Amino acid sequence: MIDRTLVDFVKVLRTAEIQVSPAETLDAISAMNIVGYRDREFLKDSLSIVLSKNPQEKEAFDSCFDRFFTFDKFQQTDEGTSPGKEPDNQDGDFDLNTGDRQQGAGKGSGQGQGGGSQGEADTEEDQTELQPTSDLGKLLLSGNRAELMIAMAEAGREVQVNQIIVFTQKGLYTRKMMDAMGLKEMQDEIAELQGHGGRPQSNLADRLKRAREQLRDKIRDYVEKQFFLHADESGKQLREELLKKVKLSNLERRNFKDVQEVVFKMAKKLIAIHSKQRRTFRRGQLDVRKTLRHNMQYDGMFFDIRWKSTKVDRPKVMCICDVSGSVSNYSRFLLMFLYSLAEVLPKVRSFAFSSDLGEVSELFEYSTLEDAMAKTMRDYGNGSTDYGQMLMDFRNHCMDSVNNKTTIIILGDSRNNYGDPRTEILREMYDKAKRVIWLNPEPRISWTVGDAEMKKYAPCCHQVEVCNSLVHLERVVSNLLRTAV
Amino acid sequence: MAIKNEEKLADVEVIKDNFEALHYICNAQIATAIFLAYHLEKPILVEGPPGVGKTELAKTTAEMLNLPCIRLQCYEGLDESKAIYEWKYGKQLLYTQVLKETLSEILEGARGLAQSVDKLHEFGDIFFSEQFLEPRPLLKALNEEEGCVLLIDEVDKSDHEFESLLLEMLSDFQLSIPEIGTIKASPERKPLVLLTSNNTREISDALKRRCLHLYIPFPDADLESRIVHARVPDIPGKLRRQLVAFIQELREMDLKKVPAISETIDWARTLILLHTDSLDADLVRQTLNVILKFQEDIETVEAEIQNVTNKALKEI
Repeated sequence: MIDRTLVDFVKVLRTAEIQVSPAETLDAISAMNIVGYRDREFLKDSLSIVLSKNPQEKEAFDSCFDRFFTFDKFQQTDEGTSPGKEPDNQDGDFDLNTGDRQQGAGKGSGQGQGGGSQGEADTEEDQTELQPTSDLGKLLLSGNRAELMIAMAEAGREVQVNQIIVFTQKGLYTRKMMDAMGLKEMQDEIAELQGHGGRPQSNLADRLKRAREQLRDKIRDYVEKQFFLHADESGKQLREELLKKVKLSNLERRNFKDVQEVVFKMAKKLIAIHSKQRRTFRRGQLDVRKTLRHNMQYDGMFFDIRWKSTKVDRPKVMCICDVSGSVSNYSRFLLMFLYSLAEVLPKVRSFAFSSDLGEVSELFEYSTLEDAMAKTMRDYGNGSTDYGQMLMDFRNHCMDSVNNKTTIIILGDSRNNYGDPRTEILREMYDKAKRVIWLNPEPRISWTVGDAEMKKYAPCCHQVEVCNSLVHLERVVSNLLRTAV
Repeated sequence: MAIKNEEKLADVEVIKDNFEALHYICNAQIATAIFLAYHLEKPILVEGPPGVGKTELAKTTAEMLNLPCIRLQCYEGLDESKAIYEWKYGKQLLYTQVLKETLSEILEGARGLAQSVDKLHEFGDIFFSEQFLEPRPLLKALNEEEGCVLLIDEVDKSDHEFESLLLEMLSDFQLSIPEIGTIKASPERKPLVLLTSNNTREISDALKRRCLHLYIPFPDADLESRIVHARVPDIPGKLRRQLVAFIQELREMDLKKVPAISETIDWARTLILLHTDSLDADLVRQTLNVILKFQEDIETVEAEIQNVTNKALKEI
């Protein structure tokens, strides 16, 4: 029993983006066996230690735990009505969350005490009242919480409320559930009673109406809870998929946080795939063990010396980002991506320019994302573009550190305001670096229109790509990492 | 897992009390983590900002259980020959020399090559044996007779590859040495493993999955006050509360590196040396470099000193 509860809890944790593996679930079960479930805080601490593995997850865990195990406040009132039940099953919330499988065992637990008691009081007052004829009406006025709960859970399953994806669907599902519970029949009854005109009839109609409103509230609650338990995650996935395809320049400020998450996830994924590749070096450190073993066949004379030959090679990336007015929308996200990348790739050097080039690696390393981006934009942003100047600056300051392991990424629209493109410097970079990649946010068709110099720059790059959505960006970076190792 | 002094891990309250006796004040989470680590036989990954007592936790646990604390400090480039084992090459060479000299004795009476090889095989081969094995911290921890506390410090500083090396050790308390085989900790004496991380990079999921996870945040005022009291018992109560209130204020500010508990304790010691019994703005200004380690931060705070000091004084 307690195991089932825990498994359900783990399911809830997973929807809250806490990654719990089956092994960890098993750990949690054995932790629970040791800890017991008498001391709530102790249990919470223990499960938190076993199941959540970073500060963000701990926070999410806390709220999930509180939401899932909310039995404390109901315990007193329920003690009398249902003795002998497990304390954590007594609560109404709990029954709701796991209604599908608990309904058989439901023995009158108290969800929505306030609303219920009023209805019951009314019933007692008017003993001589007419009784409702519709099923739902009977159910509502009988005051039997447990049956109501079961009916709700059944209706919920019927309309598949756990498929709810976005917040705006709540009304729809509430409506659907009401219908599934036989609202129409009751509506008809109410209309009929009101049409009848007699006092007991209209009394009953009022009571039914009141009960209907209470039911609606309750169902809305129920749907909302289901939404938080099930939908958060799938809704998020949907959003993230959409975001990836939207043009970067169309993203709005309010999407910013989501984008940040997507970007971070992407960067992490890419790194996970690529960071582990090895590469053999001709020489490294002397490997005593290998040398010794290898030379035993030569009588222990060391004439065939072995070196520690594998070394992880992470790509050395230099990234130059245009932050001038024309591309500022894109560069914000490119910078953001760089920032996330810099957290995992140790050797990213980032530069920003409108006309004069400035290095922002350090800023990226020590500040928060918002700070870093704001400062970058302030210091370098929104001027008019001068690619020639940028290239000259690059040659003066950074050319020395470019070698055949360096990958240079240039992000920009190559709109040079008809200035001198200084293609020869880019050619020099092309010769020295391992790869030069130019990412242009504009569609290919406009690469040669107006003051765009793509035609001249393109031959001096190993790769030129259109890059104006996160999917593009992901593809490019993935390629970069693959070829860089 | 049975350890010496097992009764000291009987339940969370007992652990807390025992820690307190050793001047390590901890909250329920920390005690729970130690409790579970022992009973579930799982390593703990301890994360938190620098200076909140992660390393200290391991040391104190070892002290409490009266076990040796074996420490492996991680750094970039750490590999198995420094973490697990190394062969004693010099001795191995000598051994081959000795072997060479006694070769004729061994092969005495052998006729033909095949027989000689057979004879050689009969002769015990100890070139790769435990006698020539130099144990490094991880192996040492497994071999420890009484059990021990193994502290793998700042695991985030090591490379990805090293993390994978740890996995076998962390999940099964065993290590594989290709030439010898698998070395296991005796089931009765498994080491209690603590890993610490400052979160400079994300630890891999595989490693996290094998560990319990404990996050130690900065303590609240009450806990910090008790910690200072335990560590610097000489400090007058009033000053202690002021000092803690001041530090708590600083943690709210936007600083490059906010002061941790270790800084609070250093500061308390400093103030005692200066025979202070109450905070004031000048004193704070003079001793600010004890708690703040960046010139930038010092400048930021200096502008606010009066303000923050007043707040700290008022809160008492």
